[in-house]
Amino acid sequence: MGKVISHSVLIYSFFLSTLAAQVSFEDLRQGLTQNWLTSIGDYAAQRHSPLSQVNTKTISRLTPKWVRNIQGAGELEMTPLVYEGVMYATNSNELYALDAATGREIWRYEATGVRRRNPNRGAAILGDRVFFVTSDCHLVALRRVSGGVLWDREYASTRDGFRCTGAPLVVKDKVLVGVASAGKTCFVAALSVDTGKEVWRFRTVPRKGEPGSDTWGSFNLDWGGAPTWTTGSYDPELNLLYWPTGNPWPDFYAGDRPGDNLYSDCVLALDADTGKMKWYFQFVPHDTHDWDANEQPVLINANFRGSPRKLLIQANRNGFYYILDRTNGEFLLAQPFVKKLNWATGIDAKGRPIVAPNMDPSPGGTYVCPSVHGATNWWAPSVNPELGLLFVVALEECETYYSSAQKPVPISGFRGTGHTLISSEPGEFFLRALDIRTGKIRWEFPMPGPARMWAGTLATAGGLVFTADDAGDLVAVDASTGKDLWHFYMGSNLRASPMSFAIGGKQYVSIAAGSNIFTFALLED
Amino acid sequence: MKVRIAAILLTLSLGTSLAFAQGGTRRPVSLTQLAENNAAVEAGERRFKQLCSGCHGARGEGGQGEGQGPNLVTSWEVRRVSDASLAELIRKGIPGTAMPPFALPNEQITELAAFVRSLNAPAISVPVPGDPAAGEAIFVGKGGCLNCHMLNGQGGYLGPDLSNVGATRRLDELRNAILKPSSRASDGYTPVELAAPDGGRMRGIVRRYSNWSMQILDENGRLHLLHGPEMKKAVIQSKPWMPNDYEQRLTREDINDLLALLSRQAVRAQDKSEASMRPASPKPVR
Repeated sequence: MGKVISHSVLIYSFFLSTLAAQVSFEDLRQGLTQNWLTSIGDYAAQRHSPLSQVNTKTISRLTPKWVRNIQGAGELEMTPLVYEGVMYATNSNELYALDAATGREIWRYEATGVRRRNPNRGAAILGDRVFFVTSDCHLVALRRVSGGVLWDREYASTRDGFRCTGAPLVVKDKVLVGVASAGKTCFVAALSVDTGKEVWRFRTVPRKGEPGSDTWGSFNLDWGGAPTWTTGSYDPELNLLYWPTGNPWPDFYAGDRPGDNLYSDCVLALDADTGKMKWYFQFVPHDTHDWDANEQPVLINANFRGSPRKLLIQANRNGFYYILDRTNGEFLLAQPFVKKLNWATGIDAKGRPIVAPNMDPSPGGTYVCPSVHGATNWWAPSVNPELGLLFVVALEECETYYSSAQKPVPISGFRGTGHTLISSEPGEFFLRALDIRTGKIRWEFPMPGPARMWAGTLATAGGLVFTADDAGDLVAVDASTGKDLWHFYMGSNLRASPMSFAIGGKQYVSIAAGSNIFTFALLED
Repeated sequence: MKVRIAAILLTLSLGTSLAFAQGGTRRPVSLTQLAENNAAVEAGERRFKQLCSGCHGARGEGGQGEGQGPNLVTSWEVRRVSDASLAELIRKGIPGTAMPPFALPNEQITELAAFVRSLNAPAISVPVPGDPAAGEAIFVGKGGCLNCHMLNGQGGYLGPDLSNVGATRRLDELRNAILKPSSRASDGYTPVELAAPDGGRMRGIVRRYSNWSMQILDENGRLHLLHGPEMKKAVIQSKPWMPNDYEQRLTREDINDLLALLSRQAVRAQDKSEASMRPASPKPVR
């Protein structure tokens, strides 16, 4: 049809000249304002909103403004976007545009003919378009004002066991997407914002003979896993993407994949124009505990040991907080941020873990901390740059890990066995404030509950940290002390992270809870 | 796995002559393709009248009253269900409802399913007479459709996006939408007029409204999110923007050409490839 209609485009091009305001790459570069333009907040993923109307003094007047149910959503995992008073919220295979001041629907798009339903973690915008991925790995481009569809393009096949959940990231004229798989080697891809056509693809496990392929023994390198299911961060000055990768497959039995298994459990620094890898850093070589590195890499410039550095910081699922030099991947520091950590006795000067003996999963079960849920996970961390603090939702939990030697069969659901929680040692969540230069815990806020949530944080210039807690509350604490200032019970297990925006000078805070989106603002006098 | 079993079952029950060859591999025939097979559909229709019409109506339009079967023509559930599940629903019934199991030979189940599919098939999967290129000229030209509707990101804002209608609407729905539009605008398309920047009036549609807010999209593609007193700017119109005189303005051939164009609109490649595998047929369907 695109071709059929093309000769009419000139005649009807006046439609284009009357479109509403456009979102530019410069807008995306600018970071957080009254708008919230990427699911990770800003390219550096600091999630530090400059809005301060809601602050430590006014927080007691924060009150719900609207609640929007997304029918049949189950537990939403997305962070919505907001541009000029319109909120873009995703559920599995559907995207909603809502009036962000009232929650009323402007339009809804449902991708038809999709046989899968996975969670979805958000949308991306550029120009007059909004993008999201379907569970079966199609990137869909829609008109922002009307929800009219421009194209729908498959970039990975469910026949290969791929599934897609992540929010895309727009950089210049490309939409970056990742995948999860049932074992198949994963990739990061850059698709054209105009057509969805693939511009480059970086495979997260090398092909035979390529550098790094010798870290797998004789394992079939098409079945290495190393998924890319969360959204990377981006430094526009260096033009580098920092995309994290997940664990090697099979998850818990590694007898067939001797070696470090590159590039699983890494952060990859990729040239945003070409997809060429500039450097990588592997957090867990030869992972046997499903410790994906898919936690958000946060980019920050700070003095480190006396000199200004461009840093990448990450609180990793393996229980250590890391500082890297993001220009070259140099390892600078690692520090545990959980107490329940027994798999390694430390991290050596090169950044390699000093692994404790007998920590691999076993047929009889091995007691290992952290649990598979992780010391932290994909939920959002945030930063207060003035205070020099990283706010991380941390889980203190151990598990029994099991393995069995089996011939690895792709797309069979085989993971090399699994893990069970220890009922006598229930896990416990904390919001922790880490000194970004040392990783030391400055304060912590305990969050009692069943230890089964997947929710993250937002920092604001109002001196606040918003976090979802393990009992179904949205909570605000003082960013410098962790003091409890405000909470609101939303009645669901939480799997999303809060965000903030403003319309006409009024600040709002939103979070998905269960199948609802809650939005708060100050009570007017 | 279920899908594969059913596909094999269908292939076996109807013979391999219906199997399409694609890319060197044999592709089992789908119920949607079966819906074009007049012999199977007609056999299914005869059996439907004997076994199903008591609850679902003679042509699947649904029965009246308690315990009667739902409308199968408009049912989204029927449209979305896989071929395998549709056949299974007939074979096993739906426990907890009035829908009983039908212990019939596979071939008869398949014919029934093919008939139900033919009632419900999206426009892209059925043969449509007419010339899509001529339809496009009408869409852009004398029909004026592009002024209000979008195809693949081009067009106006006052009517629904039509880029995927071939995959989501039945042919008779498309035909009725053109020839017999409702006198009342559908939800999300309430006509409204607003003051234009040049002092004149401009048209828009109210996507949602309450006593306290209104979400309007104007004909130039601008959103107006009106709250409280701002809502006075909007004057709701009684008559939908969709013209109701196409039956007079367009010839029968024009309509067929337009339907040929619209029935091919699908955003997903697999829908398009199913359409391209469709045998060319000059024979209009119902």
